[in-house]
Amino acid sequence: MKKQQLENAIIFSDPARCLGCHSCEMSCAIAHGGCDLYTAALQGLTLRPRNRVVTAGGVTMPIQCRQCEEAPCAFACPTGAIVQQDGMVTIREKNCVGCKVCVMVCPFGAISVKAEGDAAPQWRTNRGVARKCDLCAHTGRDQPACIEACPTKAISLIDMDAFRQAQLEARVAELAQSHRHLTPASNQVGI
Amino acid sequence: MTMNNSIDPSVAALLPVAKKQGIATVWDRYKAMQPQCGFGQLGVCCRICWKGPCRIDPFGDGPQRGICGADADTIVARNVIRMIAGGAAAHSEHGRHVALALLGVAEGKLPDYTIRDEAKLRSIATKLGLETAGKDIPSMAKAVALATLWDFQNQDHDKPCSWIESTLTGKRLEKLAGLQVLPHNIDAVVTQIMARTNVGCDADPVNLVLGGIKGALADFNGMCLATEISDVLFGTPQPAVTAANLGVLKEDAVNIALHGHNPLLSEVVCDVALQMEEEARRAGAKSGINIVGVCCTGNEVMVRRGIPLATNYLSQELALVTGAVDAMVVDVQCIMPSISEIGACFHTEIITTMDDSKISGTTHVSFHEATAADNARQIVTLAIAAFRRRNPQRVTIPDFKQTAVVGFGAEAIMGAMGALNADDPLKPLLDNIVNGNIRGIALFAGCNSTRITQDSSFVTIARKLARNNVLLLATGCGAGSFAKHGMMTQEATLEYAGESLKSVLTAIGTAAGLGGPLPLVLHMGSCVDNSRAVAVAVAVANRLGVDLDSLPLVASAPEAMSEKAVAIGTWSVALGIPTHLGTMPQISGSPLVAELLTETAKQLLGGYFIVELDPERAADKLLTTIDERRKSLGI
Repeated sequence: MKKQQLENAIIFSDPARCLGCHSCEMSCAIAHGGCDLYTAALQGLTLRPRNRVVTAGGVTMPIQCRQCEEAPCAFACPTGAIVQQDGMVTIREKNCVGCKVCVMVCPFGAISVKAEGDAAPQWRTNRGVARKCDLCAHTGRDQPACIEACPTKAISLIDMDAFRQAQLEARVAELAQSHRHLTPASNQVGI
Repeated sequence: MTMNNSIDPSVAALLPVAKKQGIATVWDRYKAMQPQCGFGQLGVCCRICWKGPCRIDPFGDGPQRGICGADADTIVARNVIRMIAGGAAAHSEHGRHVALALLGVAEGKLPDYTIRDEAKLRSIATKLGLETAGKDIPSMAKAVALATLWDFQNQDHDKPCSWIESTLTGKRLEKLAGLQVLPHNIDAVVTQIMARTNVGCDADPVNLVLGGIKGALADFNGMCLATEISDVLFGTPQPAVTAANLGVLKEDAVNIALHGHNPLLSEVVCDVALQMEEEARRAGAKSGINIVGVCCTGNEVMVRRGIPLATNYLSQELALVTGAVDAMVVDVQCIMPSISEIGACFHTEIITTMDDSKISGTTHVSFHEATAADNARQIVTLAIAAFRRRNPQRVTIPDFKQTAVVGFGAEAIMGAMGALNADDPLKPLLDNIVNGNIRGIALFAGCNSTRITQDSSFVTIARKLARNNVLLLATGCGAGSFAKHGMMTQEATLEYAGESLKSVLTAIGTAAGLGGPLPLVLHMGSCVDNSRAVAVAVAVANRLGVDLDSLPLVASAPEAMSEKAVAIGTWSVALGIPTHLGTMPQISGSPLVAELLTETAKQLLGGYFIVELDPERAADKLLTTIDERRKSLGI
């Protein structure tokens, strides 16, 4: 039997609901930082969110990896560290050399190669590897941290099949309404 | 996020009732508010000017300075000391109100008030260095009132407020003067905090925090005068046996819940209610009028009159959900605006009384001291009218109440010990501290918070400390917790106190005629009454010839939330008392400010904050602190 093909799920941000509070960034940094908010702040840890709240063209919204199906980063990566895996674009950090080719080819500016935690440069390494939104995989959460943190519910995780199905049904429902008016008047009740 | 809302059985009984009726409570709103903003939790959000809001990225890439250039340390320090100013303003406004009332009584302008404790008036006059010889009571009261009001007027920056100057140990005053944190004028110090935190002013976090400490000491000054003058007007607390928790409401009485803080209102309502019993009976209330307290007004009337306490801060809404409260009468502080809507779901009259503290949707009776009895009569009449509208089918009074032996102000504690040694009432306490029967003293204060399962941290820490022979004092909603959970009883002493503490409490209680031990936790009054505990501590310190920061004395606010608690906690540290916080203060966005308050303060002041969210570990830390103090005292 053929395996069913699914598109990668994406984080969707609704600019009409975004207030630009940056809570999604903070929760992302904490979710990937391995400790709680107060401890991280008091210890002065350097933690980096994998999303960014951006204002341009009159709207504000967070931007993060779109989990492209034809991901330029995956094609461009010279060490083959970026692959399609588990329904998303995955970076195998141990294979990454931090060359930033992926940063150059990502149309969304969603990848960063800066060091995290308290890692100081150490002679031969800056300890930077490519990082981007991983939909909070391996953080032990039910849903990505940014979605939980958003006070206005502007962020959601979209399963493309479900989304498309909902769109299809909505349009069909509209057409059904129109269709009733196309059929002969004798079939109508109440006219 | 907390898993359980409360350990109070009344809460467990009434939340389903609220849910069934579609009434949202503080816990529903807490849940709806999650997650709460991380920048706010860390204190790094600045809204002091309209270029903002600015927030500092605590983790790296984002902005490290606000638009004006203020960094996380400056922003955190400004935010926290503005909270102190808010707390100091609240307590001191309460104090001013009481002091003005004393002046009115002295001038014969307030017929509904009198001086109930002349001895206390005399002792205050002496303490403030006023001439007492040959003076009658009204002129002495006037002198005390004017000297007190001078603490709001003095413009000589080198002359400290008279209450703080006459209350603390000499060494402490010297230390605080050296740091230039002794307040000279309560209003001026609060104003100074607002001024120095204005955009483009003080940006040095250490200097800002010192300004905050001065504000906190102004708060202490305001609390001292509020408490002591209230005693003059309404009587000094004496031990009384009463009850606590929502089971104190009565099905067949007009239930009036007094909620808020200032005894100027609640005392007169109590007086007037006694005269209106017959009217209540005519309205069908067989048991007449049943006055109960909520929050610190509850504590005020509890320690002075033995009025039962219905509940403390976090469960105030549930008093209304019983459907049995006919009027909830409120004045200032800690009143949830939601009571208006919940009261409207029932027959309950929510009555606001202070012109600068109204809630829309309630009935406002403009309360003034000059017309106090008339205003109170109007309030009780509204309550009786509401009782006629009560729907008995909607009444759910939980069957939970605990006995509470309360009313242990400084005088009552001295009085009880005086029964053991009339010539030297302090001696029994000192001897037992020195010989280790009493390992140390802990003062529990502060609020409830939705961040903590209600009352759980108070009860957990207190039980552990008691088992380790620590003498326990409590005020405010902490005292409310202990009262509700049966920890202000002789039985609690027998059950939870360590052996040596039990023997001391039994010896004092028996000698004082209680027919058994003192209760496990001594109820000292409302949150404004924390100054009572300081009075005992100062007496002990002076007797031992040491400063407050040498005593095996700790404070704990395990469920703190209010700005007033921020102010109280800070003066407690400034007085040299190690002070535990069980909720995370909004300062951790600045490791510098956090270190200043938890570490550096130790060298500067002797007192310091201990932040520990886990109650078991908090108890251990408090015990360790007490032992360190004992060791340095050589006992």
